[in-house]
Amino acid sequence: MLDTQQTFPWLLAVASGMFTIGALGVLIRRNPLVVFMCIELMLNAVNLAFVTYGHFLNSMDGQMFALMVVVVAAAEVVVGLALITQVFRSGRELDVDDLSEMSE
Amino acid sequence: MTVLVWVVSGLALICAVMVVASDKTIYSALWLVGNMVLLAVLFLLLNAQFLAAVQIIIYAGGIMVLFVFIIALLSPGSGTDVEEHKDRGWRFLVGLGTAVFITGAVFLLANNGTTFDKNSSTHTLRGEQLGRLADPSAANQQKFQFTPDAVNAHGNVQTVGETLFTRFLLPFEITALLLLVAAIGAVYMTRHHREDQPAVIR
Repeated sequence: MLDTQQTFPWLLAVASGMFTIGALGVLIRRNPLVVFMCIELMLNAVNLAFVTYGHFLNSMDGQMFALMVVVVAAAEVVVGLALITQVFRSGRELDVDDLSEMSE
Repeated sequence: MTVLVWVVSGLALICAVMVVASDKTIYSALWLVGNMVLLAVLFLLLNAQFLAAVQIIIYAGGIMVLFVFIIALLSPGSGTDVEEHKDRGWRFLVGLGTAVFITGAVFLLANNGTTFDKNSSTHTLRGEQLGRLADPSAANQQKFQFTPDAVNAHGNVQTVGETLFTRFLLPFEITALLLLVAAIGAVYMTRHHREDQPAVIR
């Protein structure tokens, strides 16, 4: 058994730290692939928070929503990578600063 | 067990930092795989065995393979892509300060009794007490019946399946629709445009 008093705040802190690192990565990196990985990082952090809360609340809802988040992440990655592939095929450099306009 | 949580989550944080800090895209992807596997270990410790398996199979096995495949296909430039700026050190300090502040704020909120009742002898979370009090109906009380021992006695996968196909049936069906739309969208976007063939009817 995990010690609630010690592990619960620590795991929440880890989840928030991971989320912050992911958000900073989205802001500072310019490669769209790395930006997508940082979004995955943020989704993972939220998953950890969901499961932590669910475990310490004796509830199953946290795990259920974490499952939904995994599915949403899979769908998001598929569409995002398809977009990146199309951008690459159109002969442009992979740089989010250059891709700020979606048209043309 | 508690020590394992500290070690594994610390390693997961290091992996998360390296995802952002790595120069090469492929290194970022590999650090992200490490982060996801370590998170799966944390899920095991939190009594979410099914979710740990899902995390490894779908995230580390499916999504990350897709990432590595796209990286190999596109082979983007390997140089560092963080813009050189004259006051980069100052900006780094501001970013680090913001990260520490947000993380610390959440930690303090969690630790100082906003969600966690320190005075309770049974170490229950305040959210559980409030959740129980807010709605005394039997259906609401059942939401908090899943103690680790009860779940393990019934079987983790069994409990997940029963909950998923009863209370969470509608979200489950909606995610199925979402996956279908995403698959169709990806196929539509990545198809080839050929000059010698008539355009696909849109």
